[in-house]
Amino acid sequence: MKKVLAITACPNGIAHTYMAAENLQKAAEEAGIEIKVETQGSIGVENEFTQKEIEEADGIIIAADKSVDKSRFNNLLLVETGVQEGIHKADELINQIINEEADVYQTNTGETKEHKEKMKDKETQNPFYRHLMNGVSYMIPFVVVGGLLIALSLSLGGTATEEGIQVADDTVWATLLAVGEASFGFMVPILAGFIAMSIADRPGLAPGMIGGYIAANGGFYGSPEAEAGFLGGIAAGFLAGYIAKWIKSWKVPSVVQPVMPILVIPLLASIIVALIFIFVIGSPIAFIFSGLTEWLAGMEGASSIVLAIILGAMIAFDMGGPVNKVAFFFGAAMVAEGNIEIMGPIAVAICIPPLGMGLATLLNKRKYEKPEQEGGKAALAMGLVGITEGAIPFAAKDPLRVIPSLMTGAIVGSVIAMMFSVGNNVPHGGPVVAAFGAINGVIMYFVAIIIGTIVTALMVNLLKKDITTG
Amino acid sequence: MKLTELMTTELVETELKGTTRDEIIEELIHKLDNEGSIKSKRKFKKAILAREKEGSTGIGYEIAIPHGKSKAVTEPRVIFGKKASGVDWNSADGTLAKLIFMIAVPQENQGDDHLKILQILSRKLMNEEFREQLLQVESNEEAYNLLEEIE
Repeated sequence: MKKVLAITACPNGIAHTYMAAENLQKAAEEAGIEIKVETQGSIGVENEFTQKEIEEADGIIIAADKSVDKSRFNNLLLVETGVQEGIHKADELINQIINEEADVYQTNTGETKEHKEKMKDKETQNPFYRHLMNGVSYMIPFVVVGGLLIALSLSLGGTATEEGIQVADDTVWATLLAVGEASFGFMVPILAGFIAMSIADRPGLAPGMIGGYIAANGGFYGSPEAEAGFLGGIAAGFLAGYIAKWIKSWKVPSVVQPVMPILVIPLLASIIVALIFIFVIGSPIAFIFSGLTEWLAGMEGASSIVLAIILGAMIAFDMGGPVNKVAFFFGAAMVAEGNIEIMGPIAVAICIPPLGMGLATLLNKRKYEKPEQEGGKAALAMGLVGITEGAIPFAAKDPLRVIPSLMTGAIVGSVIAMMFSVGNNVPHGGPVVAAFGAINGVIMYFVAIIIGTIVTALMVNLLKKDITTG
Repeated sequence: MKLTELMTTELVETELKGTTRDEIIEELIHKLDNEGSIKSKRKFKKAILAREKEGSTGIGYEIAIPHGKSKAVTEPRVIFGKKASGVDWNSADGTLAKLIFMIAVPQENQGDDHLKILQILSRKLMNEEFREQLLQVESNEEAYNLLEEIE
């Protein structure tokens, strides 16, 4: 059976659009062919074609008294006319397509291909990526709000101490810091919750957020010092989503049906996710944490360059997750022992991921969507005060390209700092500690940060493709 | 939503007096003004005539649907008028317009409900049987009852 598409539109979009649509549908029915009519009226576009329908169609009729974007219809038979013809000569228009008495529409602009690929992206995009993106997009504001508030309070209200930068209690900065930390606290639960919601719709939200909260709170699985971080949150989100989706597919008696989405699915999925996370995923994380800590302690005597490579890589790997924490605590412990030349390279590595991503978004806007470009500016601010988390939205969205770039930049930076014996008295990172006067070898500290940042930015932009071409 | 939610019995006139397109437009706008859904007759008429200038709203099948979107309109309204002898509306198929639906839509967005019902009316008018029934009504009441079915 022939398949025909039609678009109807008129200046006001109140009446003619729909009259033409009605008559085209009638005429198609009489001719025994399949038709889909997209109406572009004052309500907006209704009944919009999918890319698949356009690909399968034999031709397109455009009956419109205003301009209609034809770029979607490259290589299709096209009959283009006014809306009146659509009303009165619907059968003739349809016959023109059936008898192929129309020209094939060709466009020479690249626009069509782009549009097609975009549509295709939407439909056939890797579902894994789509779920991940959904989570990341909801997480970004929490990262930005939290990061900027923490940055502000640390830089304006902080003093450098041996325990890191401390903000005095009972000041407005302490309050702002607490608000920022609250926002950061939502980061991983929101990420996990909206990944799960993308997979299982609304019933997935609660199990996802609860799973994310557990991932972000190591106390649940005997690892209070090192929670699973955003990578754990991604795992929790997918776990919760697919479990909820699976429970949704159960055949249940119709009396139970109404309580499925609000009671049964969230409850069961939350319990299952929690148990899996605590007993199956959590303990290995705790184990990795203690194992890495011991291993790193054993590295103390090794070549300092090798140590710098390892530390740089660990700091940038999961940005606040267990691996990052191990390296950070190692550096902090060394400061306490009086060896400040471990924390120096770590402080460099800490700020390179957000600074590198921020620079990357400035260098090439075509590779980042609008919210990412905004996130890039916030990441720059976070990088200045040593908040590695600023790079998380980028890493969570595209881990395979971003994380290696972050690690490479951080390694380069920490090795440079190590080679020039940059020291840091304060267990904290980023240019801000230099402002507090905690750095020995300030010039090389900044040289290391700048070079590492540039390495990350160039590498990630080299690996990433332009967003328009997918 | 029902079409008659955009109408009242006052907004039905099965015996229009005007004999030209402009007289009928004037007559219908006058009714609309009496009913109170337009703030300025002059401004609404301007919108109606501007739309006619872009292309006649005489869509053929003995139907015309003059319509205007204007700030002068406070509530979306539909007026139905019948002219048994027909009037020249410069229609696409050369027929005289006998069934005239004047549509008044406010400028600001008031939701899509009224647009959806107008969409249903437009589609319904493509139905020959329905047009035949409308042409046969003899009183305002009969017409109103027939239009009440559209929802």
